[in-house]
Amino acid sequence: MNTALFAQLVTLSSSVVLLFGITLLWRRSLTAYIDAFRWQSLVLSVLFVLIGYYSNDPELYLVAVFFFALKVIVLPIYLRRLQARVKVVNEIEPYINIATSLILAGLLVLLAYAVTRPLVAVSTLPTRGGLPLAMGLIFVGLLVVVTRKKALTQIVGFLVMENGIALLAALGTYGVPFIIELGVFLDVLMGFLVMQVFVYHIYGTFESIDVNQLSELKH
Amino acid sequence: MTFFLLILPPLLAALLAWLVRPYRSWVGWVNASLSLGSLVAALVLAAQAMNAATAPTWGFAMGSLNLEDALRVDSLAALILICVAFVATLTLFLSPGVGGSKRFNAAHLRRYQIFINLFIAAMLLAAAANNVGVMWIAIEATTIFSAFLIPLRLTKASVEASWKYILLGSVGIALAFAGTVLAYFDFFAFFGRVETALNWSELVTMAPRLQPEVMQLAFVFLVIGYGAKAGIAPMHTWKPDAYGEAPPTLTALMSSALFAVAMYAIIRWKTVVDVTLQDHYTDNLLLALGLFSLVVAAFSVVLATNYKRMLAYSSIEHTGLICLGLALGPLGVFAGLLHLFNHTAAKSMMFLLVDTIEQRYPTPLIASTRGLLKTLPWTGALFAIGLLILIGLPPGAIFISEYGIFRAGFLRDQPWLMGAALLLLAIVFVAFINHMNHMLYGETPAEVTGGERFNWRLALLLPSVIVLVVLGLTLPAPLATLLNQSVAIIAPGN
Repeated sequence: MNTALFAQLVTLSSSVVLLFGITLLWRRSLTAYIDAFRWQSLVLSVLFVLIGYYSNDPELYLVAVFFFALKVIVLPIYLRRLQARVKVVNEIEPYINIATSLILAGLLVLLAYAVTRPLVAVSTLPTRGGLPLAMGLIFVGLLVVVTRKKALTQIVGFLVMENGIALLAALGTYGVPFIIELGVFLDVLMGFLVMQVFVYHIYGTFESIDVNQLSELKH
Repeated sequence: MTFFLLILPPLLAALLAWLVRPYRSWVGWVNASLSLGSLVAALVLAAQAMNAATAPTWGFAMGSLNLEDALRVDSLAALILICVAFVATLTLFLSPGVGGSKRFNAAHLRRYQIFINLFIAAMLLAAAANNVGVMWIAIEATTIFSAFLIPLRLTKASVEASWKYILLGSVGIALAFAGTVLAYFDFFAFFGRVETALNWSELVTMAPRLQPEVMQLAFVFLVIGYGAKAGIAPMHTWKPDAYGEAPPTLTALMSSALFAVAMYAIIRWKTVVDVTLQDHYTDNLLLALGLFSLVVAAFSVVLATNYKRMLAYSSIEHTGLICLGLALGPLGVFAGLLHLFNHTAAKSMMFLLVDTIEQRYPTPLIASTRGLLKTLPWTGALFAIGLLILIGLPPGAIFISEYGIFRAGFLRDQPWLMGAALLLLAIVFVAFINHMNHMLYGETPAEVTGGERFNWRLALLLPSVIVLVVLGLTLPAPLATLLNQSVAIIAPGN
C-alpha cells in the first residue's frame, strides 16, 4: 500500500474515532451512547486491520478480532441488557451543559495537540498524524467520566477512554506486545463485569443509578 | 522455583475456597497456613537478591509470546514482597471465619476467602514483575478483586465507597497504562520492535538514549495513574470512603500492602525517567504532590469524626511523607523506603485491631467509642501504642524514618518546604492525641460489653509491635543491606 494513502486513511479513521467520542457529549440518550461506543470500536477494529496489513504484522489481525468480539459484540450486548434491567432511557443531566462540554472538548483536543508535540516529533511512522487525536480521545473520555452523573454513562466514558489508549498504542507503536494486549483485554472485560455488578447494587440499594445520590460519606 | 512457591499458595487457597461449598472454618486455617509458604519464598528471594551478583529471574518464551525475564526480584522488589507477604499472612490468620467470629454468613466468608487470596496473588505478582506490562495487569487486577470485597455486606455506604473506589481506581490505572504505552512508544521510536522492551531491566539500560520530553509526559500519566491507586492527594478521595466501609481485615491489606505496591510502581518508573532526564523533574513533581497530600491530611484529620476515616487520613499523611522522602536524594530515598516499611507494619496492625474494636462498639464514630482501655484493655493498649508510633513519637520506628526524611530535606537546602511539612505534622500530632484521648478514656457506652483476656489473636500482633520498637532503636544488618541496595537501584551514582 502507498504510504501517503495509508497515512491519510489512518488520520481519517482516527478523526472518525474521536468524533464518535465527542458524540457522547452532545447526545442525551443512553442508547445513543452505546451506539457511539459500538461504532467507534468498529472503526478501531478496521484501523487495526489496516495497520496490520500495512506493517505486515499478523498479530494485529488477531488483536482486531479480539477487539471486535469484545467491544463491538460482547460489551454493547451487556450494556443493552443492563440498560433494559435498570430501565434507563433518557437520563443524562450532566454537571455541565452540552454547549460548555463541547467547548471544553475542543480545548482538550487543542491541549492534546500541545502535549503530543514531542511524540509527533520523535516518531517516524506514517501513523504519527493520528497521535494527537488519540490523546484527545483519552481526554474526552475522562471528561465524560467526570461530568456525567449516571453510573452507566460513566462506564461508557471509561470504555471510550480505554479505546483512546488502544488507539494511542496502535498508532504509536503498532500495538503493545501481544501478551500484554491479551492481559489488557482480560482486565477490561473483568473490570466491566465488576462495574456491571455494582450498577445492579446501586440500583438495588438506591433505586436509581444517579451517582449524585452517592453522597452519604463525608468526614 | 522459588517464584512458584511465592505466587502459587494464594492461588491454591483461592481454588480451595472456591471448591469447598459452603465455607468451613478449616478452609480459613489451611489458607492462612498456605500463606506462610509465600512469606518463606519472599524471605528466600530477599536473601538471594541480597547476596547474588544478579537478581533472580524467571520467564519463558513461546512463539510470539515472549515473556523472558518477566519476573525478577532485586532488593527493592524483595523489600516490597516481604511487606506484602508479611501482612498477607497476618491478615489471613486474623480474618473473619478463622477464629470463630459470627459476623458473616458462610456465603460471605467463601467470597471473602476467594477474593482476598486472589488479591494477595495479584499484589505478589505485581511486586515480582520485571515486565512493566505484567506489573500493570496485576495492579489493575488488585482493583477488581478488592472491589468485590468492600461491600461484603451491602449497605448504601459500602456500595457508594466501592463505586468511587472502582471508578477512580480503573480510570487511574487506565491513565497509568497510557503512560506505559508512551514510554514504550519512546523505546519503539529509537530501537524498533523489541519484545522484551517492557522489561524494566531493559528499559533502565536503554533509558539514557530515550527522548526526555516523551518520558516527562509518560511520567505525568504514570504518577497520576499509580498515584490514584496509592492515594496521593488530589487522587485520594476514594481512600477514606473505602477504608471506612471495607471489612477491616481487607483494609489492613489495602492500606499497607496494596499501598506499598502502588508506591513501588511509581518508584520503578521514577528510576527509569530519572536516568533519561538527569535532572530533578520527577523530584519536583513528587515534592509538590507530597506537600499537598500533607496539607489535605492535616486538615482532614482535625475534622475527622470516624476513627477508620481518621486512620485513612493518616495514611494520606504518610503517603505524602514517603513522596517527599523519595524526592530528596539517596538519604531521602533510604528514609522514604524505611518509612514505607514501618508504615506497612504499623497501619496493618492498626486496622487488625480496629477489627476487634468494631465487634464491640456498634458505630465507628470517635464520639461514641469511649472507654476503650476499660472495655478492651489489651486491644486498647496496643491501639494506643500503634497511634503513638504512627504520629512519630520516639522510640517508635516511624520517628526514625521521619527524622531521616527531614534530615535529608534540610541537607538538600529545602528549609521552607521542610518547615511547612513539620508544621503540618504537628497539626496531625495534636489532632491525633485529641482523638485518641476521646477513645481511650471516658465512660463506656451502656450497650457495650467490657472485658477481654489475652489470646492468640493479640499475640499474633506482638511481632508488629516488636518490629516497630526495635526499628526505632536500631537498624538490623539484613534490612540495612536491603535498603542500601534498593537506594543504589533507585538513585545510582548520586
